[in-house]
Amino acid sequence: MIADRFATALLAVAAIAGVFWLGGTVAASALVPAGPAQRLERAGWGLGLGLAALATGLATGFTLAFRAPVIASLVLLGGAVWLGRRFRLPPAPHPPRAALPPWRILAGTVLAVVLVWGFAAFLLRALTEPMASNDYFAIWGLKGKTFFAEQAIPRRLFDWSSFEFSNPGYPLGLPLLYAGIGSLIGAWEDHALALIFPCWMAATSMVMYGWLRRRGASALAALAAAALLAHFGALYSAHLTGMAEIPMAFAFLLAGTAVCDAIEGTDGRADARVALATWIAAGTKNEGLFFAGTALALLALLALLRKTAGFRRTALALALPALLSAALHRLAVGSHPVRGIDLAYLARPDLFDRFLEGLAAAWRIHLSPALWPAAAVVLLIAAGRRSPHGRRLLFLAAASAGVYLALPALCPYGPVWLVTWTVGRALIALAPLLTAGVAARLAPS
Amino acid sequence: MSVIARIHLRRTAAAASAVPLLFVLLAANRPGELERRLAHLAHYAPRPLEVRRLGGSSTAFDRRFYFFLESARRKLPEDVAGVAVFGPESEQARNLVAYQFAPLPAVVRPRPIPAGWIAAVYGPVRPPGWRHVADVSDGALMWPAP
Repeated sequence: MIADRFATALLAVAAIAGVFWLGGTVAASALVPAGPAQRLERAGWGLGLGLAALATGLATGFTLAFRAPVIASLVLLGGAVWLGRRFRLPPAPHPPRAALPPWRILAGTVLAVVLVWGFAAFLLRALTEPMASNDYFAIWGLKGKTFFAEQAIPRRLFDWSSFEFSNPGYPLGLPLLYAGIGSLIGAWEDHALALIFPCWMAATSMVMYGWLRRRGASALAALAAAALLAHFGALYSAHLTGMAEIPMAFAFLLAGTAVCDAIEGTDGRADARVALATWIAAGTKNEGLFFAGTALALLALLALLRKTAGFRRTALALALPALLSAALHRLAVGSHPVRGIDLAYLARPDLFDRFLEGLAAAWRIHLSPALWPAAAVVLLIAAGRRSPHGRRLLFLAAASAGVYLALPALCPYGPVWLVTWTVGRALIALAPLLTAGVAARLAPS
Repeated sequence: MSVIARIHLRRTAAAASAVPLLFVLLAANRPGELERRLAHLAHYAPRPLEVRRLGGSSTAFDRRFYFFLESARRKLPEDVAGVAVFGPESEQARNLVAYQFAPLPAVVRPRPIPAGWIAAVYGPVRPPGWRHVADVSDGALMWPAP
């Protein structure tokens, strides 16, 4: 049996992830424009596109009651590859390479080693043992294992009060992905499945490096940003392996960079990237829906400031996938309140006191222990220069953080509960977006 | 301040922030921790998935309890509708129980026990009036009294 030997299962998961990553990369050649590091940026988007095809296809296969639902994932990937080849963007002309001074070669090599070291350390952390986080068992793994074993999305998992702890209102992208890979390898192997988390980390680095290069940053600055992020142990940890924060952080970066490109009109496919990234983000966690709302607010603000009615296409690219994702979730498993948030608290007279209580708890639990690194990041932001795209990424990260810090006021179990269990992880998932924003300011075009 | 001096100041500030930040982040990858992880992986990798889970951190709160759950899972009669586990009531135990038996619904100490559910009783005490089905490691499978 495949689950008896880790190496066999790991190879099987690697093969499946590789096929979907490769297919997604071919498809992404119709999405990501040419640039100095286009292969890396396209490959990063390729993982997002490939895994989105896997999860979305499986949901389609379940809905249409296919005998082997995962076939729909392969069909969807095949369709995406065909579209990618049909609408492939032309490669960039290769400018002649100037000879690099030795110190740049040395610095680049050191940064590349640091980046690979960070990746290797996370690879080891992710694969040390079968996925073990409490929330993996309670939410993501429980649903994924059930979908895999039943080859369906059973309603009882969502309607039964004894399983309320599994957060029935959460999006199903990650459990569908687990079930899809399990279906393709023919076993539930929750140790080898963890391999997709280092893949997400690698893809996040690729998108960050490629996007920064395309937007004019030097190779050294882009590499430094990716290397710093690779060692951010609060995000790339054994604890978060199995949970949704790592793919969410990847989706935030995809969505944030795509929204910046769309606002500045860098290319004709930016809105398509916004739509894909929003679909991935909204299907991963509810924070993805919040992010789409934050980005829409940014668009509205910019439209007001410029007194134009522009960005309609971008607004639609944000709103439609988010609404579709939420609507399909409701159709599939019914309407469930988000656990830990009750909008009725908006009308409470002590709302402001609860907000302050949440802020104080966030300071005490999450921010004050990280004061020194946070001060370094603030100094890095201050040391940067004017960069419209860097500023927008920082705005999106800051506005999202503001939403997360305000939400505990609406928690029926008390603001401290939500701050303790959710806010820290939600803030951590903004790290790639923040890093890209800071790097864009330090090395503007 | 001249433009060159301003650029110099910015670069100094950026380096003064980025280099210590990088060292703080690098220091988190302690070689001792990575070595321990590598040794753990090398030891458990050739073993079946259940053994890897047994040796991991998710079952450290009570490894005998995990052994009991796996033993009970293997001896479940066909067509049971769910599993009522009589064991520790911690959040960790609740989540592990639900996951371990999935897709079969499994709950720690449900009240009342739904019809068609079997009880997996951890420990030596057997509730009176329940019908014994099978012994499992550190416990038993029983049909609850109607």
